[in-house]
Amino acid sequence: MNRMPLLIFGIFLAFAAAWLGLVAYPVVTLGSLQPVINEESGDVSPPLLSGLAIAGQKVYAANGCVSCHSQMVRPAYLAHDISREPEADPKVRQTVARDYLREQPAFVGWQRIGPDLANYGLEKRVATLSDIHRHLYDPRSVMPGSIMPASRYLYIYRKISGQPSNESLTGLTGPHAPAPGYEVVPTEDAKVLAAYLLSLKRNYPLSEAPEEPTE
Amino acid sequence: MTKLSQPSQENEVEASVRLPVLIFFGCAASWLALGTLLGALAALKLIWPGFLDGPAFLTYGRIAPAAVNALVYGWASSAALGIALWMLARLGRTPLGYAVLPVAAAICWNLGVFLGICAILGGYSRSIFLLEFPGFISAILFGAYIFVAIWGIVLFRNRAPGAVFVSAWYLVAALLWFPWLYFSANALLIWSPVSGAAQAPIAAWFIGGIISLWLAPVALASAFYLIPQILGRRLVSYNLSVLGFWSFAIFAGWSGTALLVGGPVPAWMASAGIVASVFLFVPVLVTGINLLGSLQGSYEALGWSPTLRFTAVGAMSFVIAYVMGGLLALPSFNANFFFSDVFVGQAFLLLIGFVSMCFFGAIYYIVPRLLSRPWHSDSLISLHFWLFVVGGGLAWVCLLSGGMLQGYALNDPGVRFASSVGYASPFRLVTALSLIAMFVGSQCFAGVLFRTMLGALEETKSSSQAVTV
Repeated sequence: MNRMPLLIFGIFLAFAAAWLGLVAYPVVTLGSLQPVINEESGDVSPPLLSGLAIAGQKVYAANGCVSCHSQMVRPAYLAHDISREPEADPKVRQTVARDYLREQPAFVGWQRIGPDLANYGLEKRVATLSDIHRHLYDPRSVMPGSIMPASRYLYIYRKISGQPSNESLTGLTGPHAPAPGYEVVPTEDAKVLAAYLLSLKRNYPLSEAPEEPTE
Repeated sequence: MTKLSQPSQENEVEASVRLPVLIFFGCAASWLALGTLLGALAALKLIWPGFLDGPAFLTYGRIAPAAVNALVYGWASSAALGIALWMLARLGRTPLGYAVLPVAAAICWNLGVFLGICAILGGYSRSIFLLEFPGFISAILFGAYIFVAIWGIVLFRNRAPGAVFVSAWYLVAALLWFPWLYFSANALLIWSPVSGAAQAPIAAWFIGGIISLWLAPVALASAFYLIPQILGRRLVSYNLSVLGFWSFAIFAGWSGTALLVGGPVPAWMASAGIVASVFLFVPVLVTGINLLGSLQGSYEALGWSPTLRFTAVGAMSFVIAYVMGGLLALPSFNANFFFSDVFVGQAFLLLIGFVSMCFFGAIYYIVPRLLSRPWHSDSLISLHFWLFVVGGGLAWVCLLSGGMLQGYALNDPGVRFASSVGYASPFRLVTALSLIAMFVGSQCFAGVLFRTMLGALEETKSSSQAVTV
């Protein structure tokens, strides 16, 4: 191992093999995946994101939501991710590469300090935008015992002048609820984040991810 | 303390690398203190989410990545660059020329890390693990690194004739791999992002690479150099070193995609990650035998050499962490423990137990030689060692045991999600306390490092005054 060119060549080759397989190959194959168009219904999978939801991705990234929340559903033969969400209709399925086509960046994640959010928009308890805002503003008022950080910095606490805003958060309780004569309204960042969270619905059909039996 | 004997030809080599290496080490120690502080704060927030929850920059999602980046780019990478420069100069018995450029690179690197941490806290994070820094900051880091790497490779090329020691293989490999790794990942995920569908495997490859292809080789180089050097004996076997190096080089690059078992990638990629992680047992056991076997029969040296003590803990953690990584890649373990604190525990053991402990050992060996004076305080070094071994060990055990309960709860559809948080909670409390102990330990490390440097500075000043008088 005293021959410099051989050493350098070996070092280069060892790295290049993994680089070709795990970087160049996915760029060429997965990088050119296109949305699927259903010829009968004209539906596009994955569906287009609204401008609000695209802006919301940036807020999701800026606040490091992915530090605690994954967006990855593993297949039923491997783990119980699918049977965790029995209420979803149509049924939740494994996430595949095409599901992240419109994500920038793809928030796959590697931690579940909080629950997986791949299908947050399908959850029954998320009925309205107001529910999401209440959860972001004061998580423990919605879910006692939750360790989610309160994102009160995404909301404005202000005195009501004239009529209360029709955007103001309703049903707030606890120490951070507005005093009489005051209201809490979402900032632009909070509005787009909520729009993004509501858009998280990965239950459109994809041929590469057939619906599986959960049992 | 280690003995200080320096023939004059070595003095020239030491003097040539003194300034850049000391800048790297000084900054590294400061980043370690900040990283452990932010880490402890983040861990506390998982127990008391209401703790310091007002301003945006203190939210968990910004503090936690800031802590990891401070530790990986601020502490470990700065220390690695300093160690690589010193060791290549020393091994090649070659003085460093034009040291002003590596000095500028050291300053740029740390300035870049500072801006990056501010950007994460300020809400400009890109939220890709270990690539959170905005694009222009990663460009600064890349540029600074290239300068140091070129100087390192030039040192290697100009080395004095003779056999190339195993440490030099690892250092040259690391200096060549990191730029390629960092450039590819930044180009494809940050500077000009590819479609979201292709991002997951690249991100996973990068996470595996930054530990196994950059920090681990430098830590191994340092262990391979220091253990025989301090004990004054040879490694167990040259052939084992060759086998260990090449098998590590071949498998390490593939191991990252073990993070994507069941993930949105073709199945063969996850399988390649699993296979590579398991095959890493070969280099890990071979290298472990080579390093720890050299210690055999000289355990009393652990008593008098802090360098050896730190390095031995590092070498043991290396074996445990990679064996753990191989086991966690297996689908049956992976299904239960991925997404849980068990994986955090494995990453923690790699970064703190293995890489950081090896780097502490190297810095405790290098600085007295650079400054030609002994350490300011032996008791602070001991305190630093025990705070890291006990604190880090406890944090690791807690992350593992709490993470196992959390993982089983997460993968059991009959258990509510909230229970997974509840099970992990007491263990996370102990982890947070252990991180506080490590923060104190990092203060001891910074204290002894800076006081020794200041002592040397004062000595130089008074001697130069004596000359003028």
